[in-house]
Amino acid sequence: MSTVSPDGPAIDLRGLVKDFAVGLRGVKLRAVDDLCLRVPAGQVFGLLGPNGSGKSTTIKIILGLLEATAGECRVFGVPSTQVEARVDVGYLPESPYFYRHLSGRELVRFYARICGLGGATLSARVAEVINWVGLTAAADRLVGTYSKGMLQRIGLAQALVHDPRLVILDEPTAGVDPVGSAAISELILQLKARGKTVLITSHLLTQIEDICDRVAILDRGRLILEGAVRDLVGGAERQALIVEKLSAQELEELRTWLGSRGRTLEAVEQPRARLDQIFLDRVGRSESTNREGGA
Amino acid sequence: MSRVSFSLTRVRLIARNTLLEASRQKLFSFLLLLALGLVGGAQWFREFNFGASELKFLADLGYGAMAFFGAALTIAATAQLFFSEIDNRTALTLLAKPVWRAEFVLGKYLGVVAVTAVFCALITGLLVAMLWSRESALMREFPDSFGQGHTLRIVDLAWAGYLQWLKLTVLAAFTLLVATFSRTQLYTVVTGFFVVVICHLQYLAQDVYAQGGSTFGQVVAGVLGLMFPNFQLFNFADNVGAGVPVAWDRVARVSVYALGYVAGGCGLSVFSFRQREI
Ligand SMILES: Nc1ncnc2c1ncn2[C@@H]1O[C@H](COP(=O)(O)OP(=O)(O)OP(=O)(O)O)[C@@H](O)[C@H]1O
Ligand SMILES: [Mg+2]
Repeated sequence: MSTVSPDGPAIDLRGLVKDFAVGLRGVKLRAVDDLCLRVPAGQVFGLLGPNGSGKSTTIKIILGLLEATAGECRVFGVPSTQVEARVDVGYLPESPYFYRHLSGRELVRFYARICGLGGATLSARVAEVINWVGLTAAADRLVGTYSKGMLQRIGLAQALVHDPRLVILDEPTAGVDPVGSAAISELILQLKARGKTVLITSHLLTQIEDICDRVAILDRGRLILEGAVRDLVGGAERQALIVEKLSAQELEELRTWLGSRGRTLEAVEQPRARLDQIFLDRVGRSESTNREGGA
Repeated sequence: MSRVSFSLTRVRLIARNTLLEASRQKLFSFLLLLALGLVGGAQWFREFNFGASELKFLADLGYGAMAFFGAALTIAATAQLFFSEIDNRTALTLLAKPVWRAEFVLGKYLGVVAVTAVFCALITGLLVAMLWSRESALMREFPDSFGQGHTLRIVDLAWAGYLQWLKLTVLAAFTLLVATFSRTQLYTVVTGFFVVVICHLQYLAQDVYAQGGSTFGQVVAGVLGLMFPNFQLFNFADNVGAGVPVAWDRVARVSVYALGYVAGGCGLSVFSFRQREI
C-alpha cells in the first residue's frame, strides 16, 4: 500500500474515463472523458458544470461506487477502489433519500456506528451534528416525514458525524431555503477553518464564488477550466463605492476630480436591496428565535 | 493508512436495521391474518371430527400454510428490503462509508433470515398450542384411542418448524442472489417463485437421473439436482402429525445440506454484487 504524504492532494484523478452502456446495441455514453484533477488538501473545491456534465459520476468514482473505465483515482493516496479510501470521507448524495423508517437521530446514530463510533461519546456526537445542521427540534420524527430541505440537512449530519478529513457534497443546497443555504455556506467555511477538505457541486454560482478556493468546470465530461477563484473572477483592480444619491452636478464634479487623478468613473448604478438579502434579514431573525424556542 | 477488515459488527448493524425496517413497515401484520385463518380453519375442520387422524390433518394444514406463506414472505421481503436500498439510494450512502460490499450483502441476508425466523417461531408456537389443545380435547372424548397419553411430541413439532425455517433461509439466499444482478423487484419476485417451484419438483429430476435414459438427459438432471436443493427433504410434517418421532441425525444432515446451499448462495451474491454499479 502506498504511503500517504501529509501534504499530498486529497483527491487525485488521472486520465479518468467513464463509459456507460446505454441503449440496446451496446451504445456507449462517455460521461467522464480523460479527466485530470487534483483537489489540494485543506481547500474548498467547487465542481461546476451544466446538467449531465459528469459531476455526480466523477464523485461516485471517487467514492468507489462506480468503477472507472480507464484512469486512476486516489483519495489521500489510496486507490478509490479500496475500502480504506473511504475511511476519512463524508458524502452527501444528490437528492438524498434515507431510511424512512428511522427517526433523524436513529439515522445519524446508525451511520455513526457503521463508521466505528461508539461508547459514551456516541450520543453526544450525534446530538452535536444534528444541532449543527439545525434539526434538533425534528430529530425524533421519522425521516419519511421530512421535507426536501430537511433531508439535505440530515444528510449533511450523517456525512459529518465521524469527523472526516474530506467532505464531498453533491448539491447540498438543492431544495434548501436561503437561510439554510447560507447556514450551509457557513458550515463549509467552518470545516475549512478546521483544516478539512471540501468538494462541492452546486448550480448556485454566487454561493460557489463566495466559499470556494478553487473551481473546475466540466462540460460533457471534459475539464474545460480549472483554477483559483480569485484568479478566475479577477476584480482586485476594481472597486465599487456606494454613496447617498448625488445630484447631476455633484456627479460631474466627481468625474472631474477623478479625471484630474487620471481615473475614470466607469459605471453609475442604482443599487437595490437583493431579494435574498431581504429574505435573510426577515426570516433569519424570526428563525433564530424559533429554533431556540423549538429546541 | 490502516486496513479496514471485514467486521461482524457492521454486518449486525445492517441486519438489525433491515429487521427494523421490516417490522416498522408492518410486514408482520399479515401474520395476524394468517394466525386467524389457521385457528378459524382448524375450528371448521372440527365439525367433521376425524378422531386421531384429525391431528395429522391439522398438522399438514398448519405446516403447509407455513411453507406456502413463508415462501411468499421470504421472496417478497428479500426483494423489497434489497431494492428499497437500491431504489431509495440508501445503498449509495451506506457503501460510501468504509463498508465492504460483502458486509452489505450478508447484513441484508441476515436481516431477512431474522424476519423469517420471527415468522416461523410465531407460527410454530401457534401450531403447537393448537395441536396440543386439540389432542387434549380428543383424549378426553375418546380415551380408548389414546392409551399411552399424548402421541404428539412438542420437540418434534418444534423440529418441523425449524426445518421449515431452514428451507426459507436457503430460499432467501437464492432470492438475494437473483436480486443482486436483476434490475427490478418484479423480476426478482417472479424468478424467486420459479426457484421455489423448481426446488419442490427437483426430486423428479433426480428420479430421471436415477432411472437412466439418455446421457444428455442424465447430465441435465444431474446438474439441476446439484444446482437446486431438494425442498422435499425439509418436509417433516407428515411424520410429526402421525406422531412418528423425528430422527435427530436426519435433522443434522438436512441442516448441513441447507448450510451448504446458503453458503453457496451468499457467496455468489457477494460476487455478483461486487460487480454491480450502484
Ligand atoms: N447509471 C447510469 N447509466 C447510464 N448513464 C448514466 C448513468 N449515470 C449517469 N449517466 C449519464 O452520465 C452523464 C453524466 O451524468 P451525471 O449525473 O454525472 O451529471 P451531473 O453533472 O451530475 O448532472 P446534474 O447537474 O444534473 O446533477 C449523463 O449524461 C447521464 O445521463
Ligand atoms: Mg449531479
